Amino acid sequence: MTRLSRREFVRLGTAGAAAAPWILDPAALGAATISALEAIGRIQKAAGVPWNAQTVDGFKVGDPSRPVTGIVTTSLATVDVMRRAVKAGANLIITAGPTFYSRADTPAPPAPDPVVAAKNEFVAANHLIVWRFSEHWRLRRPDPFAQGLGDALGWARARTKGDAARLTVPALTLEALAARVKSRLDARGGVRVVGRQQTRVRTIGLLPGTRSIQEMVALLPRVDAVIAGEIREWESSEYARDVVNAGLGKALILVGRSLSEDAGMGVCADWLRTIVPEAPVRWLPAGDPYWRPTA
Amino acid sequence: MTAGEVVGRIKKNLGAPWRENSYRDTFKSGGPETQVTGIATTVFASFDVIQRAVAAGLNMIVPHEVTYWNDRDDKSLVSADPLLYQQKLEYLAAHNVVIFRTHDSMHDQRPDFTFVGSAREIGLDAKYETAPGSHRFVVPETTLGALASSVQRRTGAKALRVAGDPNARVSRIQLGVGYATGAANDPGVDVVISGEQQELDGVLDSPEYVCDAAALGIPKGWIMLGHAVSEEAGMLEMAQWIRGFVPEVPVQLVKAGEPFWAP
Repeated sequence: MTRLSRREFVRLGTAGAAAAPWILDPAALGAATISALEAIGRIQKAAGVPWNAQTVDGFKVGDPSRPVTGIVTTSLATVDVMRRAVKAGANLIITAGPTFYSRADTPAPPAPDPVVAAKNEFVAANHLIVWRFSEHWRLRRPDPFAQGLGDALGWARARTKGDAARLTVPALTLEALAARVKSRLDARGGVRVVGRQQTRVRTIGLLPGTRSIQEMVALLPRVDAVIAGEIREWESSEYARDVVNAGLGKALILVGRSLSEDAGMGVCADWLRTIVPEAPVRWLPAGDPYWRPTA
Repeated sequence: MTAGEVVGRIKKNLGAPWRENSYRDTFKSGGPETQVTGIATTVFASFDVIQRAVAAGLNMIVPHEVTYWNDRDDKSLVSADPLLYQQKLEYLAAHNVVIFRTHDSMHDQRPDFTFVGSAREIGLDAKYETAPGSHRFVVPETTLGALASSVQRRTGAKALRVAGDPNARVSRIQLGVGYATGAANDPGVDVVISGEQQELDGVLDSPEYVCDAAALGIPKGWIMLGHAVSEEAGMLEMAQWIRGFVPEVPVQLVKAGEPFWAP
Protein backbone atom coordinates (compact mmCIF):
# COMPACT_ATOMS: atom_id res chain seq x y z
CA MET A 1 0.00 0.00 0.00
CA THR A 2 3.03 2.32 0.25
CA ARG A 3 3.87 2.01 -3.44
CA LEU A 4 3.65 5.45 -5.04
CA SER A 5 2.08 6.01 -8.41
CA ARG A 6 4.09 7.96 -10.95
CA ARG A 7 1.88 11.00 -10.44
CA GLU A 8 2.22 10.82 -6.67
CA PHE A 9 6.01 10.44 -6.99
CA VAL A 10 6.17 13.57 -9.13
CA ARG A 11 4.13 15.47 -6.53
CA LEU A 12 6.38 14.24 -3.73
CA GLY A 13 9.45 15.32 -5.68
CA THR A 14 8.02 18.76 -6.31
CA ALA A 15 7.19 19.30 -2.65
CA GLY A 16 10.66 18.17 -1.62
CA ALA A 17 12.39 20.46 -4.14
CA ALA A 18 10.31 23.45 -3.13
CA ALA A 19 11.14 22.93 0.53
CA ALA A 20 14.84 22.19 0.07
CA PRO A 21 16.33 25.69 -0.52
CA TRP A 22 15.25 26.95 2.92
CA ILE A 23 16.37 23.94 4.90
CA LEU A 24 19.93 24.30 6.26
CA ASP A 25 20.09 21.16 8.37
CA PRO A 26 21.51 18.53 5.98
CA ALA A 27 19.85 15.74 7.96
CA ALA A 28 16.46 17.26 7.29
CA LEU A 29 17.17 18.00 3.67
CA GLY A 30 14.37 16.78 1.47
CA ALA A 31 12.28 15.57 4.41
CA ALA A 32 9.49 18.14 4.21
CA THR A 33 7.30 18.10 7.30
CA ILE A 34 3.73 19.10 7.78
CA SER A 35 1.69 19.55 10.95
CA ALA A 36 -1.52 17.63 11.51
CA LEU A 37 -3.41 20.92 11.34
CA GLU A 38 -1.89 21.72 7.94
CA ALA A 39 -2.54 18.21 6.65
CA ILE A 40 -6.18 18.31 7.71
CA GLY A 41 -6.62 21.81 6.28
CA ARG A 42 -5.41 20.48 2.96
CA ILE A 43 -7.74 17.47 3.17
CA GLN A 44 -10.75 19.67 3.94
CA LYS A 45 -9.96 21.84 0.96
CA ALA A 46 -9.35 18.94 -1.41
CA ALA A 47 -12.40 16.96 -0.29
CA GLY A 48 -14.52 19.03 -2.64
CA VAL A 49 -17.61 18.90 -0.44
CA PRO A 50 -19.08 21.78 1.56
CA TRP A 51 -17.95 21.62 5.20
CA ASN A 52 -20.82 21.48 7.69
CA ALA A 53 -20.76 23.74 10.73
CA GLN A 54 -22.40 21.04 12.85
CA THR A 55 -20.46 17.82 12.30
CA VAL A 56 -19.00 14.79 14.06
CA ASP A 57 -15.85 15.26 11.98
CA GLY A 58 -12.85 16.96 13.57
CA PHE A 59 -9.92 16.52 15.98
CA LYS A 60 -10.82 14.22 18.88
CA VAL A 61 -7.60 13.96 20.85
CA GLY A 62 -3.94 14.94 20.59
CA ASP A 63 -2.07 18.11 19.65
CA PRO A 64 -2.79 19.04 16.01
CA SER A 65 0.22 21.38 15.86
CA ARG A 66 2.62 18.42 16.00
CA PRO A 67 4.43 17.36 12.83
CA VAL A 68 2.97 14.31 11.11
CA THR A 69 5.26 11.27 11.07
CA GLY A 70 2.80 9.12 9.21
CA ILE A 71 -0.94 8.82 8.61
CA VAL A 72 -3.16 5.84 9.31
CA THR A 73 -6.72 5.53 8.03
CA THR A 74 -9.20 3.15 9.63
CA SER A 75 -12.90 2.62 10.21
CA LEU A 76 -12.35 2.76 13.96
CA ALA A 77 -9.45 4.12 16.07
CA THR A 78 -9.47 1.23 18.53
CA VAL A 79 -6.64 0.61 21.00
CA ASP A 80 -5.54 -2.21 18.71
CA VAL A 81 -5.40 0.10 15.67
CA MET A 82 -3.52 2.71 17.73
CA ARG A 83 -0.90 0.13 18.72
CA ARG A 84 -0.45 -0.94 15.11
CA ALA A 85 -0.20 2.73 14.06
CA VAL A 86 2.58 3.36 16.59
CA LYS A 87 4.40 0.24 15.39
CA ALA A 88 4.17 1.60 11.85
CA GLY A 89 5.63 4.94 12.97
CA ALA A 90 2.45 6.92 12.29
CA ASN A 91 1.04 9.53 14.68
CA LEU A 92 -2.02 10.86 12.83
CA ILE A 93 -5.03 8.54 12.78
CA ILE A 94 -7.93 9.37 10.49
CA THR A 95 -11.00 7.41 11.56
CA ALA A 96 -14.52 7.00 10.21
CA GLY A 97 -16.00 6.06 13.59
CA PRO A 98 -15.94 7.67 17.02
CA THR A 99 -12.85 7.14 19.19
CA PHE A 100 -14.47 7.60 22.60
CA TYR A 101 -17.47 5.30 22.26
CA SER A 102 -20.29 7.73 21.47
CA ARG A 103 -21.56 10.34 19.09
CA ALA A 104 -20.34 12.94 21.61
CA ASP A 105 -16.88 11.34 21.19
CA THR A 106 -15.07 13.14 24.02
CA PRO A 107 -11.86 12.00 25.77
CA ALA A 108 -13.26 13.48 29.01
CA PRO A 109 -16.33 11.42 30.00
CA PRO A 110 -18.65 12.64 32.79
CA ALA A 111 -17.40 9.88 35.14
CA PRO A 112 -13.85 8.47 35.39
CA ASP A 113 -13.55 5.33 33.26
CA PRO A 114 -10.63 2.86 33.18
CA VAL A 115 -10.89 2.15 29.44
CA VAL A 116 -11.04 5.83 28.49
CA ALA A 117 -8.21 6.63 30.91
CA ALA A 118 -5.95 3.91 29.48
CA LYS A 119 -6.73 4.99 25.92
CA ASN A 120 -5.89 8.61 26.77
CA GLU A 121 -2.63 7.49 28.40
CA PHE A 122 -1.66 5.54 25.29
CA VAL A 123 -2.48 8.53 23.08
CA ALA A 124 -0.42 10.89 25.27
CA ALA A 125 2.55 8.53 25.64
CA ASN A 126 2.77 8.09 21.87
CA HIS A 127 1.86 11.66 20.86
CA LEU A 128 -1.02 10.43 18.73
CA ILE A 129 -3.53 12.72 17.06
CA VAL A 130 -6.99 11.47 16.04
CA TRP A 131 -9.12 13.21 13.46
CA ARG A 132 -12.55 11.95 12.47
CA PHE A 133 -13.50 11.93 8.79
CA SER A 134 -16.94 10.39 8.39
CA GLU A 135 -19.78 12.68 7.34
CA HIS A 136 -17.73 14.52 4.73
CA TRP A 137 -15.84 11.55 3.34
CA ARG A 138 -19.17 9.83 2.62
CA LEU A 139 -20.46 12.87 0.71
CA ARG A 140 -17.86 12.37 -2.03
CA ARG A 141 -18.93 10.79 -5.31
CA PRO A 142 -18.51 8.06 -6.23
CA ASP A 143 -19.47 6.93 -2.71
CA PRO A 144 -16.06 5.84 -1.33
CA PHE A 145 -17.57 3.41 1.17
CA ALA A 146 -19.55 1.59 -1.53
CA GLN A 147 -16.54 1.71 -3.81
CA GLY A 148 -14.27 0.25 -1.12
CA LEU A 149 -16.76 -2.47 -0.22
CA GLY A 150 -17.17 -3.47 -3.87
CA ASP A 151 -13.39 -3.55 -4.34
CA ALA A 152 -12.92 -5.60 -1.16
CA LEU A 153 -15.43 -8.15 -2.42
CA GLY A 154 -13.33 -8.50 -5.58
CA TRP A 155 -15.96 -6.95 -7.80
CA ALA A 156 -14.41 -3.66 -8.91
CA ARG A 157 -15.22 -4.56 -12.52
CA ALA A 158 -18.74 -5.69 -11.70
CA ARG A 159 -19.75 -2.15 -10.79
CA THR A 160 -22.60 -0.44 -12.61
CA LYS A 161 -21.38 2.58 -14.50
CA GLY A 162 -22.08 5.74 -12.51
CA ASP A 163 -23.28 3.89 -9.40
CA ALA A 164 -20.66 2.48 -7.02
CA ALA A 165 -23.41 0.89 -4.94
CA ARG A 166 -24.71 -1.45 -7.68
CA LEU A 167 -22.94 -4.60 -8.83
CA THR A 168 -23.80 -7.17 -11.49
CA VAL A 169 -21.82 -10.33 -10.82
CA PRO A 170 -21.60 -13.84 -12.29
CA ALA A 171 -24.59 -15.69 -10.81
CA LEU A 172 -23.99 -17.45 -7.52
CA THR A 173 -26.10 -18.83 -4.69
CA LEU A 174 -26.75 -16.79 -1.56
CA GLU A 175 -24.83 -19.45 0.38
CA ALA A 176 -21.76 -18.86 -1.82
CA LEU A 177 -22.21 -15.08 -1.63
CA ALA A 178 -22.36 -15.13 2.17
CA ALA A 179 -19.23 -17.26 2.33
CA ARG A 180 -17.47 -14.89 -0.06
CA VAL A 181 -18.48 -11.82 1.96
CA LYS A 182 -17.23 -13.45 5.14
CA SER A 183 -13.90 -14.51 3.70
CA ARG A 184 -13.15 -11.39 1.60
CA LEU A 185 -13.94 -9.02 4.47
CA ASP A 186 -12.01 -11.22 6.88
CA ALA A 187 -15.10 -11.33 9.09
CA ARG A 188 -15.36 -13.40 12.24
CA GLY A 189 -18.87 -13.42 13.70
CA GLY A 190 -20.31 -10.19 12.33
CA VAL A 191 -22.00 -11.51 9.19
CA ARG A 192 -25.72 -12.26 9.41
CA VAL A 193 -27.94 -13.31 6.53
CA VAL A 194 -31.67 -13.15 5.76
CA GLY A 195 -32.63 -15.32 2.79
CA ARG A 196 -32.68 -18.83 1.40
CA GLN A 197 -29.31 -20.39 0.80
CA GLN A 198 -30.12 -21.52 -2.75
CA THR A 199 -31.46 -18.13 -3.93
CA ARG A 200 -29.57 -17.09 -7.06
CA VAL A 201 -27.89 -13.70 -6.90
CA ARG A 202 -26.70 -11.69 -9.89
CA THR A 203 -27.41 -8.11 -8.93
CA ILE A 204 -26.23 -6.68 -5.62
CA GLY A 205 -26.84 -3.36 -3.89
CA LEU A 206 -24.40 -2.00 -1.32
CA LEU A 207 -25.52 0.00 1.73
CA PRO A 208 -22.42 0.45 3.90
CA GLY A 209 -22.82 2.35 7.17
CA THR A 210 -26.03 2.67 9.20
CA ARG A 211 -29.07 2.68 6.91
CA SER A 212 -32.81 3.31 7.11
CA ILE A 213 -35.90 1.31 6.12
CA GLN A 214 -36.63 3.88 3.44
CA GLU A 215 -33.28 3.19 1.81
CA MET A 216 -33.86 -0.58 2.05
CA VAL A 217 -37.36 -0.37 0.56
CA ALA A 218 -35.94 1.73 -2.28
CA LEU A 219 -33.08 -0.68 -3.06
CA LEU A 220 -34.02 -4.30 -2.30
CA PRO A 221 -36.79 -4.51 -4.95
CA ARG A 222 -34.26 -3.47 -7.62
CA VAL A 223 -31.57 -6.07 -6.84
CA ASP A 224 -31.30 -9.73 -5.86
CA ALA A 225 -29.35 -9.04 -2.66
CA VAL A 226 -28.36 -6.11 -0.49
CA ILE A 227 -25.12 -6.09 1.48
CA ALA A 228 -25.47 -3.56 4.29
CA GLY A 229 -23.57 -2.41 7.34
CA GLU A 230 -26.08 -1.84 10.13
CA ILE A 231 -29.88 -1.49 10.07
CA ARG A 232 -32.60 -1.47 12.72
CA GLU A 233 -33.82 -5.01 13.24
CA TRP A 234 -37.45 -3.89 13.64
CA GLU A 235 -37.11 -2.35 10.21
CA SER A 236 -35.00 -3.72 7.39
CA SER A 237 -34.30 -7.28 8.49
CA GLU A 238 -38.01 -7.83 9.19
CA TYR A 239 -38.86 -6.37 5.81
CA ALA A 240 -36.32 -8.70 4.19
CA ARG A 241 -37.66 -11.65 6.18
CA ASP A 242 -41.19 -10.96 4.93
CA VAL A 243 -40.01 -10.64 1.32
CA VAL A 244 -38.03 -13.88 1.57
CA ASN A 245 -40.86 -15.82 3.22
CA ALA A 246 -43.28 -14.65 0.55
CA GLY A 247 -41.11 -16.58 -1.91
CA LEU A 248 -39.95 -13.50 -3.76
CA GLY A 249 -36.27 -14.49 -3.75
CA LYS A 250 -34.06 -11.67 -2.49
CA ALA A 251 -31.56 -11.59 0.36
CA LEU A 252 -30.03 -9.27 2.89
CA ILE A 253 -26.51 -9.65 4.25
CA LEU A 254 -25.48 -7.56 7.25
CA VAL A 255 -21.80 -7.14 8.04
CA GLY A 256 -21.87 -4.51 10.80
CA ARG A 257 -21.28 -0.78 10.59
CA SER A 258 -17.57 -0.75 11.28
CA LEU A 259 -16.65 -3.69 9.03
CA SER A 260 -18.77 -2.23 6.22
CA GLU A 261 -16.74 1.00 6.40
CA ASP A 262 -13.26 -0.49 6.70
CA ALA A 263 -12.57 -0.75 2.97
CA GLY A 264 -13.85 2.77 2.32
CA MET A 265 -11.08 4.05 4.56
CA GLY A 266 -8.62 2.11 2.36
CA VAL A 267 -9.94 4.21 -0.52
CA CYS A 268 -9.31 7.22 1.73
CA ALA A 269 -5.67 6.17 2.20
CA ASP A 270 -5.18 5.95 -1.58
CA TRP A 271 -6.67 9.42 -1.99
CA LEU A 272 -4.65 10.93 0.89
CA ARG A 273 -1.38 9.90 -0.73
CA THR A 274 -2.14 12.39 -3.47
CA ILE A 275 -3.13 15.12 -1.00
CA VAL A 276 -0.45 14.79 1.69
CA PRO A 277 2.66 13.48 -0.10
CA GLU A 278 4.93 14.53 2.81
CA ALA A 279 3.79 11.67 5.03
CA PRO A 280 3.55 7.92 4.46
CA VAL A 281 -0.10 6.86 4.46
CA ARG A 282 -1.22 3.43 5.52
CA TRP A 283 -4.65 1.79 5.77
CA LEU A 284 -5.11 -0.26 8.94
CA PRO A 285 -8.49 -2.02 8.90
CA ALA A 286 -10.09 -2.20 12.35
CA GLY A 287 -11.53 -5.61 11.52
CA ASP A 288 -14.66 -7.41 12.66
CA PRO A 289 -15.42 -6.62 16.33
CA TYR A 290 -17.70 -9.65 16.65
CA TRP A 291 -17.32 -13.39 17.07
CA ARG A 292 -19.72 -16.19 17.91
CA PRO A 293 -19.19 -19.51 19.62
CA THR A 294 -20.01 -21.56 16.52
CA ALA A 295 -17.94 -19.55 14.04
CA MET B 1 -65.82 -12.15 21.45
CA THR B 2 -64.56 -8.97 19.79
CA ALA B 3 -60.99 -7.68 19.61
CA GLY B 4 -62.15 -4.64 21.58
CA GLU B 5 -63.26 -6.90 24.44
CA VAL B 6 -59.87 -8.68 24.43
CA VAL B 7 -58.01 -5.36 24.53
CA GLY B 8 -60.33 -4.14 27.30
CA ARG B 9 -59.43 -7.17 29.42
CA ILE B 10 -55.69 -6.68 28.69
CA LYS B 11 -55.97 -3.08 29.93
CA LYS B 12 -58.00 -4.12 32.98
CA ASN B 13 -55.55 -6.87 34.00
CA LEU B 14 -52.32 -5.00 33.22
CA GLY B 15 -51.80 -3.65 36.73
CA ALA B 16 -50.22 -0.49 35.35
CA PRO B 17 -51.75 2.71 33.95
CA TRP B 18 -52.56 2.38 30.24
CA ARG B 19 -50.69 4.86 28.05
CA GLU B 20 -53.57 6.36 26.10
CA ASN B 21 -51.21 8.38 23.90
CA SER B 22 -48.96 5.46 22.90
CA TYR B 23 -48.56 5.24 19.14
CA ARG B 24 -47.23 1.71 19.57
CA ASP B 25 -49.99 -0.09 21.50
CA THR B 26 -52.76 0.36 18.97
CA PHE B 27 -54.62 -1.60 16.29
CA LYS B 28 -52.42 -2.16 13.22
CA SER B 29 -55.02 -4.11 11.24
CA GLY B 30 -58.74 -4.57 11.81
CA GLY B 31 -60.29 -2.89 14.83
CA PRO B 32 -62.27 -3.34 18.05
CA GLU B 33 -65.31 -4.67 16.18
CA THR B 34 -63.47 -7.60 14.58
CA GLN B 35 -64.77 -10.96 15.80
CA VAL B 36 -61.94 -13.02 17.30
CA THR B 37 -61.59 -16.75 16.56
CA GLY B 38 -58.32 -17.19 18.44
CA ILE B 39 -55.28 -15.23 19.58
CA ALA B 40 -51.63 -15.59 18.56
CA THR B 41 -48.90 -13.87 20.54
CA THR B 42 -45.57 -13.32 18.78
CA VAL B 43 -42.60 -10.97 18.72
CA PHE B 44 -43.08 -9.71 15.14
CA ALA B 45 -46.25 -9.77 13.05
CA SER B 46 -44.27 -11.12 10.11
CA PHE B 47 -46.14 -12.24 7.00
CA ASP B 48 -45.15 -15.81 7.87
CA VAL B 49 -46.53 -15.54 11.43
CA ILE B 50 -49.78 -14.07 10.13
CA GLN B 51 -50.22 -16.93 7.64
CA ARG B 52 -49.45 -19.60 10.24
CA ALA B 53 -51.83 -17.98 12.75
CA VAL B 54 -54.62 -17.92 10.15
CA ALA B 55 -53.91 -21.57 9.28
CA ALA B 56 -54.27 -22.40 13.00
CA GLY B 57 -57.61 -20.57 13.13
CA LEU B 58 -56.27 -17.60 15.10
CA ASN B 59 -57.27 -14.28 13.52
CA MET B 60 -56.08 -11.95 16.29
CA ILE B 61 -52.34 -11.31 16.49
CA VAL B 62 -50.82 -9.69 19.57
CA PRO B 63 -47.22 -8.85 18.61
CA HIS B 64 -44.69 -7.11 20.82
CA GLU B 65 -43.08 -5.49 17.80
CA VAL B 66 -44.06 -3.97 14.48
CA THR B 67 -46.15 -5.06 11.51
CA TYR B 68 -45.09 -2.58 8.80
CA TRP B 69 -41.30 -2.55 9.39
CA ASN B 70 -41.03 0.68 11.37
CA ASP B 71 -41.63 1.65 14.98
CA ARG B 72 -44.67 3.84 14.34
CA ASP B 73 -46.07 1.33 11.87
CA ASP B 74 -46.27 4.38 9.63
CA LYS B 75 -47.39 2.91 6.32
CA SER B 76 -46.24 5.97 4.39
CA LEU B 77 -42.60 5.04 5.10
CA VAL B 78 -42.90 1.67 3.37
CA SER B 79 -45.79 1.96 0.92
CA ALA B 80 -43.28 2.54 -1.90
CA ASP B 81 -42.30 -1.13 -1.56
CA PRO B 82 -43.56 -2.86 -4.71
CA LEU B 83 -42.78 -6.39 -3.45
CA LEU B 84 -44.90 -7.15 -0.45
CA TYR B 85 -46.58 -4.16 1.15
CA GLN B 86 -49.80 -4.42 -0.85
CA GLN B 87 -49.81 -8.22 -0.65
CA LYS B 88 -49.52 -8.15 3.14
CA LEU B 89 -52.36 -5.63 3.46
CA GLU B 90 -54.59 -7.64 1.14
CA TYR B 91 -53.89 -10.86 3.01
CA LEU B 92 -54.77 -9.21 6.33
CA ALA B 93 -58.05 -7.89 4.91
CA ALA B 94 -58.97 -11.13 3.09
CA HIS B 95 -58.54 -13.19 6.27
CA ASN B 96 -60.16 -10.69 8.62
CA VAL B 97 -56.99 -10.45 10.72
CA VAL B 98 -56.90 -8.02 13.61
CA ILE B 99 -53.51 -6.95 15.00
CA PHE B 100 -53.07 -5.19 18.33
CA ARG B 101 -49.50 -4.42 19.40
CA THR B 102 -48.52 -4.67 23.07
CA HIS B 103 -45.13 -3.02 23.47
CA ASP B 104 -45.17 -0.14 25.93
CA SER B 105 -47.76 -1.88 28.11
CA MET B 106 -45.64 -5.05 28.32
CA HIS B 107 -42.65 -3.01 29.47
CA ASP B 108 -44.87 -1.17 31.99
CA GLN B 109 -46.21 -4.41 33.42
CA ARG B 110 -44.61 -6.05 36.50
CA PRO B 111 -43.06 -8.39 35.98
CA ASP B 112 -42.11 -7.43 32.41
CA PHE B 113 -42.64 -10.70 30.54
CA THR B 114 -39.93 -9.90 27.99
CA PHE B 115 -37.33 -10.06 30.80
CA VAL B 116 -39.00 -13.05 32.47
CA GLY B 117 -38.99 -15.02 29.21
CA SER B 118 -35.45 -14.13 28.20
CA ALA B 119 -34.03 -14.95 31.66
CA ARG B 120 -35.92 -18.26 31.61
CA GLU B 121 -34.60 -19.16 28.17
CA ILE B 122 -30.99 -18.12 28.89
CA GLY B 123 -31.08 -19.87 32.26
CA LEU B 124 -30.55 -16.82 34.46
CA ASP B 125 -32.21 -18.12 37.60
CA ALA B 126 -34.09 -15.67 39.85
CA LYS B 127 -31.83 -16.69 42.75
CA TYR B 128 -28.95 -14.91 40.97
CA GLU B 129 -30.83 -11.62 40.50
CA THR B 130 -29.53 -8.89 42.85
CA ALA B 131 -33.09 -7.61 43.45
CA PRO B 132 -36.43 -8.36 41.76
CA GLY B 133 -36.58 -6.31 38.57
CA SER B 134 -32.91 -5.22 38.68
CA HIS B 135 -32.22 -7.50 35.70
CA ARG B 136 -28.70 -7.80 37.12
CA PHE B 137 -27.55 -11.33 37.80
CA VAL B 138 -24.43 -12.34 39.70
CA VAL B 139 -23.66 -15.88 38.57
CA PRO B 140 -20.78 -18.17 39.58
CA GLU B 141 -17.65 -16.91 37.82
CA THR B 142 -17.18 -18.25 34.30
CA THR B 143 -15.49 -17.16 31.09
CA LEU B 144 -17.16 -14.99 28.45
CA GLY B 145 -16.59 -17.84 25.97
CA ALA B 146 -18.35 -20.41 28.14
CA LEU B 147 -21.19 -18.01 28.89
CA ALA B 148 -21.67 -17.20 25.19
CA SER B 149 -21.71 -20.90 24.29
CA SER B 150 -24.31 -21.59 26.93
CA VAL B 151 -26.47 -18.66 25.81
CA GLN B 152 -26.27 -19.78 22.20
CA ARG B 153 -27.12 -23.39 23.05
CA ARG B 154 -30.11 -22.41 25.19
CA THR B 155 -31.59 -19.80 22.83
CA GLY B 156 -30.67 -21.58 19.61
CA ALA B 157 -29.66 -18.19 18.19
CA LYS B 158 -27.60 -19.12 15.14
CA ALA B 159 -26.46 -15.58 14.42
CA LEU B 160 -25.80 -14.32 17.95
CA ARG B 161 -22.86 -11.90 18.14
CA VAL B 162 -20.29 -11.50 20.89
CA ALA B 163 -17.64 -8.86 21.58
CA GLY B 164 -14.85 -9.17 24.14
CA ASP B 165 -12.11 -11.60 25.14
CA PRO B 166 -13.50 -15.18 25.28
CA ASN B 167 -11.13 -15.85 28.21
CA ALA B 168 -12.32 -12.86 30.27
CA ARG B 169 -13.53 -13.99 33.70
CA VAL B 170 -17.05 -12.70 34.25
CA SER B 171 -19.89 -13.05 36.73
CA ARG B 172 -21.99 -9.87 36.78
CA ILE B 173 -24.54 -9.88 33.95
CA GLN B 174 -26.92 -7.08 32.99
CA LEU B 175 -29.86 -8.48 31.06
CA GLY B 176 -31.53 -6.21 28.53
CA VAL B 177 -34.32 -6.92 26.05
CA GLY B 178 -34.80 -5.81 22.45
CA TYR B 179 -33.17 -2.42 22.00
CA ALA B 180 -33.25 -1.67 25.76
CA THR B 181 -29.62 -2.65 26.16
CA GLY B 182 -27.48 -1.66 29.11
CA ALA B 183 -24.21 0.21 28.68
CA ALA B 184 -21.07 -1.93 28.92
CA ASN B 185 -19.14 0.80 30.75
CA ASP B 186 -21.16 0.37 33.96
CA PRO B 187 -18.47 -0.45 36.56
CA GLY B 188 -20.85 -2.92 38.24
CA VAL B 189 -21.30 -4.99 35.07
CA ASP B 190 -19.01 -7.50 33.36
CA VAL B 191 -21.32 -8.57 30.54
CA VAL B 192 -24.39 -7.12 28.88
CA ILE B 193 -26.75 -9.60 27.25
CA SER B 194 -29.57 -8.20 25.16
CA GLY B 195 -31.19 -8.09 21.76
CA GLU B 196 -29.86 -5.25 19.68
CA GLN B 197 -27.75 -2.15 20.15
CA GLN B 198 -26.54 0.56 17.79
CA GLU B 199 -22.92 -0.16 16.92
CA LEU B 200 -21.53 3.38 16.64
CA ASP B 201 -22.55 7.01 17.25
CA GLY B 202 -24.86 6.16 20.13
CA VAL B 203 -24.84 7.31 23.74
CA LEU B 204 -22.33 4.54 24.55
CA ASP B 205 -20.91 2.39 21.76
CA SER B 206 -20.59 -0.82 23.74
CA PRO B 207 -19.01 -3.08 21.07
CA GLU B 208 -16.05 -0.73 20.54
CA TYR B 209 -15.79 -0.12 24.29
CA VAL B 210 -15.68 -3.86 24.99
CA CYS B 211 -13.08 -4.47 22.24
CA ASP B 212 -10.84 -1.77 23.73
CA ALA B 213 -11.38 -3.17 27.22
CA ALA B 214 -10.29 -6.58 25.89
CA ALA B 215 -7.15 -5.05 24.33
CA LEU B 216 -6.36 -3.44 27.70
CA GLY B 217 -7.01 -6.60 29.73
CA ILE B 218 -10.18 -5.27 31.39
CA PRO B 219 -12.81 -8.06 31.58
CA LYS B 220 -15.96 -6.97 29.71
CA GLY B 221 -18.35 -8.74 27.38
CA TRP B 222 -21.25 -7.99 25.03
CA ILE B 223 -23.64 -10.71 23.84
CA MET B 224 -26.43 -9.78 21.42
CA LEU B 225 -29.13 -12.34 20.69
CA GLY B 226 -30.85 -10.31 18.00
CA HIS B 227 -34.04 -8.34 18.63
CA ALA B 228 -36.47 -11.16 17.74
CA VAL B 229 -34.77 -13.89 19.77
CA SER B 230 -34.35 -11.57 22.73
CA GLU B 231 -38.02 -10.64 23.03
CA GLU B 232 -39.82 -13.69 21.67
CA ALA B 233 -39.39 -15.96 24.69
CA GLY B 234 -41.60 -13.73 26.85
CA MET B 235 -44.44 -13.96 24.37
CA LEU B 236 -45.05 -17.43 25.83
CA GLU B 237 -45.69 -15.85 29.25
CA MET B 238 -47.86 -13.29 27.44
CA ALA B 239 -49.98 -16.05 25.87
CA GLN B 240 -50.40 -17.78 29.25
CA TRP B 241 -51.39 -14.49 30.88
CA ILE B 242 -54.02 -13.65 28.24
CA ARG B 243 -55.39 -17.22 28.42
CA GLY B 244 -56.12 -16.57 32.09
CA PHE B 245 -58.69 -13.87 31.36
CA VAL B 246 -59.80 -14.78 27.83
CA PRO B 247 -61.08 -18.35 28.23
CA GLU B 248 -63.52 -18.06 25.31
CA VAL B 249 -60.97 -18.57 22.49
CA PRO B 250 -57.67 -20.43 22.06
CA VAL B 251 -54.55 -18.39 22.85
CA GLN B 252 -51.09 -19.55 21.81
CA LEU B 253 -47.58 -18.43 20.95
CA VAL B 254 -46.82 -18.44 17.21
CA LYS B 255 -43.09 -17.95 16.97
CA ALA B 256 -41.60 -15.57 14.44
CA GLY B 257 -38.20 -17.14 15.09
CA GLU B 258 -34.75 -15.80 14.32
CA PRO B 259 -34.62 -14.02 10.95
CA PHE B 260 -30.88 -14.60 10.47
CA TRP B 261 -28.47 -17.37 9.75
CA ALA B 262 -24.71 -17.12 9.79
CA PRO B 263 -22.24 -18.28 7.16
